[in-house]
Amino acid sequence: MHHPFTHRLLLLASVAACLAWLGPQPALAQRDNGPIKIGVVSEFAAVVGEAIAKGAELAAANINAHGGINGRKLEIIAYDDHSSAAEAVRDFQRLAEQDHVSAIITTFISEVALAIEPWAARLHIPTLTPAAASNLISKQVHDRYSQYKYMFEGWFPSPILAQSVCDSSRDTLVKELHLSTAAIVSEDADWTKPLDATYEKCLPKAGLKVVDFVNFNPDTTDFTPIFNHIEGKNPNVMIMGIAHVGVQPTAQWYSQRVPIAMAGINAQASNNTFWKDTNGATEGVITQTGSAPGVALSPTTLAVQKAYVDKYHNFPAFTGFTAYDGTMAFAEAMKRANSTDPDKVVAEMEKTKFEGSVGHYEFYGRTDEFTHALKYGPGYATGIFVQWQNGKQVCVWPTDKCTNKLEFPSFVKLPQ
Amino acid sequence: MIGLQILIDGFAISSLYGVAAVGFTLMFGVCGVLNLAHGGIMVIAGLIGWWAAVNHSAGPYGGAVIGILAGLIASYVTYFAVVRPLQKSRAIPPEEQEIFILTGTLLWGIMIQVGLDYLFTNNPVTMQALIPGVMHIFGVRTPRNEGLIAVVCWAAIGALYLLVNKTPVGKQLLAASINPRGLTLLGFELSHIYLIVWTVYGLLAGLAGVLLATFFGVSSANAGSLTASAFTIVILGGLGSVPGSLIAAYVVGYAETITAYLIAPTLRPIPALLILVIALYIRPQGILGRR
Amino acid sequence: MRTPTGYALALVAVAIGLSAPFWLGNYWLGILTVAFYFSVFAMSWDLLFGFAGEVNFGPTFLIGLGAYSAGLMNNAGLGIPLCLVGGALTAIVGGVLLALPALRLRGPYFGLVTLVAVLLLLDAIVIFAGITGGEIGMMVPSVLSVSAVTNYWYALGFLVISAIILFFLSRSSLGLILQATGQDRIEAAALGFNVTKFKLAAFCISALFSGLAGAMVTFYQGTASVDQMVDLSIAVQIIIAVVFGGRRTILGGILGALFLILFQQLLLPLGQLNTFIVSGIALLVIILFPDGVLGYALRLMERRT
Repeated sequence: MHHPFTHRLLLLASVAACLAWLGPQPALAQRDNGPIKIGVVSEFAAVVGEAIAKGAELAAANINAHGGINGRKLEIIAYDDHSSAAEAVRDFQRLAEQDHVSAIITTFISEVALAIEPWAARLHIPTLTPAAASNLISKQVHDRYSQYKYMFEGWFPSPILAQSVCDSSRDTLVKELHLSTAAIVSEDADWTKPLDATYEKCLPKAGLKVVDFVNFNPDTTDFTPIFNHIEGKNPNVMIMGIAHVGVQPTAQWYSQRVPIAMAGINAQASNNTFWKDTNGATEGVITQTGSAPGVALSPTTLAVQKAYVDKYHNFPAFTGFTAYDGTMAFAEAMKRANSTDPDKVVAEMEKTKFEGSVGHYEFYGRTDEFTHALKYGPGYATGIFVQWQNGKQVCVWPTDKCTNKLEFPSFVKLPQ
Repeated sequence: MIGLQILIDGFAISSLYGVAAVGFTLMFGVCGVLNLAHGGIMVIAGLIGWWAAVNHSAGPYGGAVIGILAGLIASYVTYFAVVRPLQKSRAIPPEEQEIFILTGTLLWGIMIQVGLDYLFTNNPVTMQALIPGVMHIFGVRTPRNEGLIAVVCWAAIGALYLLVNKTPVGKQLLAASINPRGLTLLGFELSHIYLIVWTVYGLLAGLAGVLLATFFGVSSANAGSLTASAFTIVILGGLGSVPGSLIAAYVVGYAETITAYLIAPTLRPIPALLILVIALYIRPQGILGRR
Repeated sequence: MRTPTGYALALVAVAIGLSAPFWLGNYWLGILTVAFYFSVFAMSWDLLFGFAGEVNFGPTFLIGLGAYSAGLMNNAGLGIPLCLVGGALTAIVGGVLLALPALRLRGPYFGLVTLVAVLLLLDAIVIFAGITGGEIGMMVPSVLSVSAVTNYWYALGFLVISAIILFFLSRSSLGLILQATGQDRIEAAALGFNVTKFKLAAFCISALFSGLAGAMVTFYQGTASVDQMVDLSIAVQIIIAVVFGGRRTILGGILGALFLILFQQLLLPLGQLNTFIVSGIALLVIILFPDGVLGYALRLMERRT
C-alpha cells in the first residue's frame, strides 16, 4: 500500500457504510393533525392537462376556505409527467411513497392512466382520472374489484361518450336538420376502439346510417386523402373521434372547403383557445365537452366557473371542472370517513352524491358495467355539445339546457 | 381523377419537404454540421409567426415575416451558443466533432421543445392561409394556399440556386464545401462563410416553418419528427447534395401520399422508411451523394 | 482507472450502493433501480460508440427486442430465467442485423439505418397491438419481486456484473483493436486484424447487455412498454448519458445515467422546466468539458500523479 490517498478513501468508505447502517429509517406514518395531501400527476404543457392541476388547486382553496377536511387543511402537490407514462409512474410513486399523499388526481391520456392503474392497486392509493376515456380503466375495476377498487373515473369511458354523441345527434342533427347518413372518422388510439364500436351500434338507432368508417394514424399531418375518400361516400356528417389531433383536420377541413358537417368528439375543439389555434377554421364544428361559459349544468356550475376565471383569468378546458369535482369528491369522502385510510376512503367515494360543477355527481357501482366511472344520463351528468359560432362556443345540447340553433359555414352542404 | 388528386396533393407536400431539407443539407455540405435542432427551429418560426399574427394583429403577412425572422434568430443562437463553441473547443478531437455537434444540437433541440411547451403549451396551431379560398385544377378542388406554397417553395429554391451559382458569395460557399483548407489559404475567413450559411439556413428553416404552419399547423411536439423527416430525406438524397435532397423530398412525399390514398392512411409513414433502408443497402451514399 | 485509486473509488461506490437500502426509502430505491438498468443501456452503447466508433441511434432497437421477446415468451408460459436468455438471444440477432449495414455504411448513414430500425420496430409494435399491447404496453404475468429492496438488489447486482465484464472487455485486446478499427479501419485491416469479426463481436456484446437489461426491466415493471424501452427519447437520453459521463470510459455511462435520472427527480417540484434545466446542464458540460465528468476527473488524477 504505497498510496496513502487510497487508505483514506477506504477508511472513508467504511465509515460511510457504518453510518448508513445506523441511519434513521424513513418515517412512514403521516401525522394525524397535519395537512391532508392530494397529489396531481398531469401534463402541464397541454391545455387539458394544465387545467387538471388548476382545477384541483381551486377545489383545495375552496375546501380550506370552508374549514378544511374536518379541520385539517388540504394541500395539493402537483408534478408534470411530460406526457410520458414512464415519468407518470415515477411521479405517482413519489407522491405515494415520498410525499405520503392520501389520494391522487391524474392525467387525461388513457395510455398514462392505464400505466398508473396497477400502481394505484399495488400502493393502495385512491386515484381518479378526470378525463382518460379508455373503457379498460373501469373494466379492470369491474373484473378484479378487490385489487383495482382504488381507481375512479371522474368522466365518461368512451362507450358512454359515444352514446352521448348518438343521443345528441338524434336530438339535433336528425330531428332538426334531418340528416340521415354519417361517416365515422377517428384516430387510431386505445380510447377510440370502444368508441367506434359503440358508434357503429348506436348511430343507426339515432337515425344516422353509417356509410363510411375511417381510422387514421394519429401522426397524420395531411388529411386531404382522408377527406377525399369520405367525400366519395357522400355522407351528411362526419362523426369524429379525435383527441391527439384536432387542429390539423379542422384547419384542413376549412381550407379545403370539405362540404360535410363535422360533429362528434373533437377534443381539442373543446378548448377555448381553439378559435385562435385554427384561425377561425373551426366555425361550425360541433364537439362534445364538459362545460361552456354560462351554461348551468347544476346549481354549483356557475359559481365554480366564476371562481376559476377570477383565479386564473381564463376559461379552462373541461378537465378544470372534472378535476375540481374529483377533488371535492375525495375531500367529501375523507370528511365522511373521518380518515384517510384508503379502504375507508374508497368505500365513501362509492357513496358519493353531490351537485358537481359538471352535473349531478355519482359513480357506477360494483355490479355495473363501468364500475367507478361517472354516471351518465338524465338527472346525472350528461356532458354537453357545443358548436363554434362566430368565435364562441355555443351550447347546443342537452336541448333542455341549451336553445341555440345549429349554424354551418356556407361551404357545408346540408340536405334540403 | 384520384391520380390527378395524388399528383397535386403530393406536389405541395413534397415541395414543402424540399425547402425544409435543402437548408439542412446545405449546412452539412458547407459546414459539416448536422443540426438536430432543425425541427425545433422550424417550430419556433411557425409558433412565433402565429403568435404575432393572432395576438399582436400583425396579420398573415406580418406574421409570416416575423416568423421567418424568428427562425433566423434561432439559427444564429444555435450557431453562436451551441455549434461554434463545440467547433472551437480544443479538447474535442476533430474526428469526434461530428458526434459532439450531434449531441449538442440534440440537447439544444430538447431545450427548445421544452421551452416552447412552457411558453406556448404543446397545443398545435395553424397560421392563417396567405391566400384564402379554393381553386379547381381540372376538377380537383385545391386550396389556393397549397398552390402558393408550391410557388413560394420553388421561388426559394430558385433564389438559392442563383445565390450559389451566380454570385461571388455562392462561389465561396461551393469552394468551402469542396476544400475548406484551400479557401483559408486564399485568405478567406471561414467563419465569415459559415455565418452566411447559417443565415441562409435560418431563412429557409424559418420559411419552411411558417409555410408548414399555414398548411398543416405546428406544435412543439412536432420538433422531433420534423428533424427526423428532414434527416431521412437528406440522407436518401445524399448528404450535402441539394439536388439530391430535392429528388428525395419528392420520392418521400409521393410515397407517403400514394400510400395514404391507395392503401390506408394508417400506414402512411412505412413505405418511405422501407424505401430508405433498401436504397441505403443498394446505394449507401444516397441518390446523388459523393462519398 | 487502472490505478489503485480508481479501484478504491469503485469500491466506495459499490459500498454506498450496498448500504443504500438501509437509509433510503422505497421511492428512491425505485428511482435508483431504474437508473441502474439505464446505466447498463448506457455502458452497452459506449462499447459500440466509444470503442467501435459506431454512432448508433438505435440502442432502443436492441433494448426493445430484448424486452418484448422476453415478455412474449413469458406470456407463452416460460419462466423468467428462460425468458431472459431468450430476450438476450433475440437482441443478439438484432445486433447482427444492425452490424450488417454497419460494415458497409459510415457515420451518419449508419446512424440513419439504426434510427429507421427503431421506427420500424415502433410501427411493428403498434400495428401488432393485439399481441404486443400497442402503445399501452404488454403486461407480463411474472415479476422479479414485489419488494422494492429485492428489486434494488437485482438491479445493483446486474449493474456491477455488467460493469465489470464490459469494463475489462474494453480494456482487453478486443477494446484496443476495436478502438483502432473505429479510428481507421483500413489501417487496422492492414495490420492484419479481421475488422469484420471484431465489429461483429462488439455488436453482439452490446446487444447482449442491452437486450438482457431490457428484459430485466420488463420483469421489474411487469410490463414491456414502448414509452420506456423503445421510444427515441430513450435513445437520446442514453447518448446524452454517455457523452455527459465521459465517452470511451464505459463506467462514465453510470454517472451520466445517475445524473439524468436523479436530477430530473430532484428538480421535479420545479414543474415543467426540470427537463429544460437538466438538458441545459448537460449541454454546458459537453461544451466546457467534452471528455465528460469521468473523463475530466481521470485527466485531473493523471495530472496529480
